[in-house]
Amino acid sequence: MTAPLLDARNLTRRYRLPRTSLLHPAPVLTAVDNTSFTISAGETLGVVGESGSGKSTIARMVMAFETPDAGEVLFQGQNLHALSPYELRLQRQKFQMVFQDPFGSLDPRRTVGWSIAEPMRAIGADGDTARRTAEALEQVGLPARDADKYPHEFSGGQRQRIAIARAIVTRPALLVADEAVSALDVSVQAQILNLLMDLQDDLGLGILFISHDLAVVASICDQILVMQHGKPLESGPAAQVLRSPAHAYTQTLLKAAGVST
Amino acid sequence: MFQLADFSVSFGTATALRRATLDIRQGDRLGIVGESGSGKTMLALALMGMAPDAAKIGGRLTIDGQDMTHASERTWQQMRARRVAMIFQEPMSALNPLRRIGDTMMEPLIVHEGLSRAQAQARVLALFEEVGIPDPAARLRMFPHELSGGQRQRVLIALALACNPALLIADEPTTALDANVALRITDLLVRLARERGMALVFITHDLAAVARTTKDIVVMYGGDMIERGPTAQVLAAPAHPYTQGLLAARPDPTVPPRDATGKRRRLPTLPGTVPPLAALPQGCRFSGRCSVELPQCAGTRPTDHAVDPDRSAACHLLGAAP
Ligand SMILES: Nc1ncnc2c1ncn2[C@@H]1O[C@H](COP(=O)(O)OP(=O)(O)O)[C@@H](O)[C@H]1O
Ligand SMILES: Nc1ncnc2c1ncn2[C@@H]1O[C@H](COP(=O)(O)OP(=O)(O)O)[C@@H](O)[C@H]1O
Ligand code: SF4
Ligand SMILES: [Mg+2]
Ligand SMILES: [Mg+2]
Repeated sequence: MTAPLLDARNLTRRYRLPRTSLLHPAPVLTAVDNTSFTISAGETLGVVGESGSGKSTIARMVMAFETPDAGEVLFQGQNLHALSPYELRLQRQKFQMVFQDPFGSLDPRRTVGWSIAEPMRAIGADGDTARRTAEALEQVGLPARDADKYPHEFSGGQRQRIAIARAIVTRPALLVADEAVSALDVSVQAQILNLLMDLQDDLGLGILFISHDLAVVASICDQILVMQHGKPLESGPAAQVLRSPAHAYTQTLLKAAGVST
Repeated sequence: MFQLADFSVSFGTATALRRATLDIRQGDRLGIVGESGSGKTMLALALMGMAPDAAKIGGRLTIDGQDMTHASERTWQQMRARRVAMIFQEPMSALNPLRRIGDTMMEPLIVHEGLSRAQAQARVLALFEEVGIPDPAARLRMFPHELSGGQRQRVLIALALACNPALLIADEPTTALDANVALRITDLLVRLARERGMALVFITHDLAAVARTTKDIVVMYGGDMIERGPTAQVLAAPAHPYTQGLLAARPDPTVPPRDATGKRRRLPTLPGTVPPLAALPQGCRFSGRCSVELPQCAGTRPTDHAVDPDRSAACHLLGAAP
């Protein structure tokens, strides 16, 4: 077996909370506790759990927006958190992120073409941005001429397509999607999930797919990691976790997701 | 109790609710499902006499036999104080962040029912117990931000119950909540409706939540009520092409993401997106996106056709069947 695209080992992240009393030290919250997982090229890992379970904190550590207090993130064998700022900036083109709120993540005063090209400018590679922006738009099923329009001219589903175009414009190997379909209606959600599957098949992307909705995770993920209160509760191949969930909590998530009860 | 007949709400040329017909009886638990913009909230607001001032109202709304279609705000206030209450998706916005929970809860009882402070407090404590708020006395002194999302939603439910409504309308009450908290809130709503003999209108886009909570459903699309019937039957075998597409598009956690050969299973999708209100087709609102469309669909509005004795759908296909 080849080395995984992403190897997250024993990640721990603690936050110091505001002091509630002068007599006691500031309380510490362990947002993510000793959590490990791997993602191979062309494979999707789903991280599922209720809000506050540490999912976004995992995403921020994988994206190297935040440094873990313990553990390491190996991306293509390199420890991301040991890179110099310059090296990290160059690596960034290989891992990109899509957020929940497609409106909040697009600048309303800029054309969507400008927003899509932003990650290219960030790595100083703005040579053929126009061509790459057009290519990314077409990959997400939008016409290249949409580059000249503004975010308000698009529906929620189209804006999420634009956010995905921005994430793939640098031709990354890993995509981190944090609640990327959670704000969308069911029928639009299905379109975006299919788009992510197609992009994965075409580009061989590894995907870290984060959601609180187990049904959504089940529809797209090969592997599932269930988080609760910052701790990994269970993980394994999706079919196995869904068929015989080991924890009552996973069963609750399944119950909440099922139409037939 | 509540009756809508050919009830419409429009803004200029945009029709947010088109000739809605609905009967709500005591003990009903009715789900209203549809994607955003389908007119669910407009329907709820209409039942509360709270449609926006800019809206043009048509048809008829009667409550307990009384015509409320164009009733004055005064008449509505009395109706809302006795017969109907509503809870919203975002409980934070319905609670004054600067007031203690207890004051917010007690005010309507003191103002509208003329209770003393002590009487009002006793009533609120009883309501908090009923909706499962732990340590109710301590909660009275708290501010909204000190409660979790689920507890806040319980406070709002208690507030809505304070006037002993005959009908409780819950507009997306679980959308902002975590799965297991949402489960407990829907269980609570069902229990309250049963114990109080109160009718419940449960509005959501979450098909799993509506399956757990309601006996009957109405499916909405583009301001039209396009299918109705017992919840379990409609979800098991939808008759309207839109309902069929919506259910198929919803991921099913029991179906693995790849088939036996390792090939991905794509989710069935509805083509295109919901057009803006003013651009909806005049006939069937779903025409243009429907895979089995007939020539008359775009121009002629389909009427309700019986699927079973207690089920119907508004689709020309069903009318054509023998
Ligand atoms: N910057 C921060 N400072 C303090 N606490 C934080 C911070 N970021 C996250 N947390 C806390 O860490 C926990 C995990 O949060 P998060 O990773 O956002 O969970 P999720 O994405 O699963 O909802 C929560 O209790 C949250 O309040
Ligand atoms: N004050 C208003 N003026 C014009 N259109 C409105 C107004 N309020 C709501 N609408 C429109 O009515 C339609 C139905 O909205 P709503 O009932 O909120 O849908 P839902 O609750 O199903 O998401 C939407 O297309 C919305 O834009
Ligand atoms: S009336 Fe026509 S367009 Fe509408 S759902 Fe039926 S077949 Fe499709
Ligand atoms: Mg999060
Ligand atoms: Mg609404």
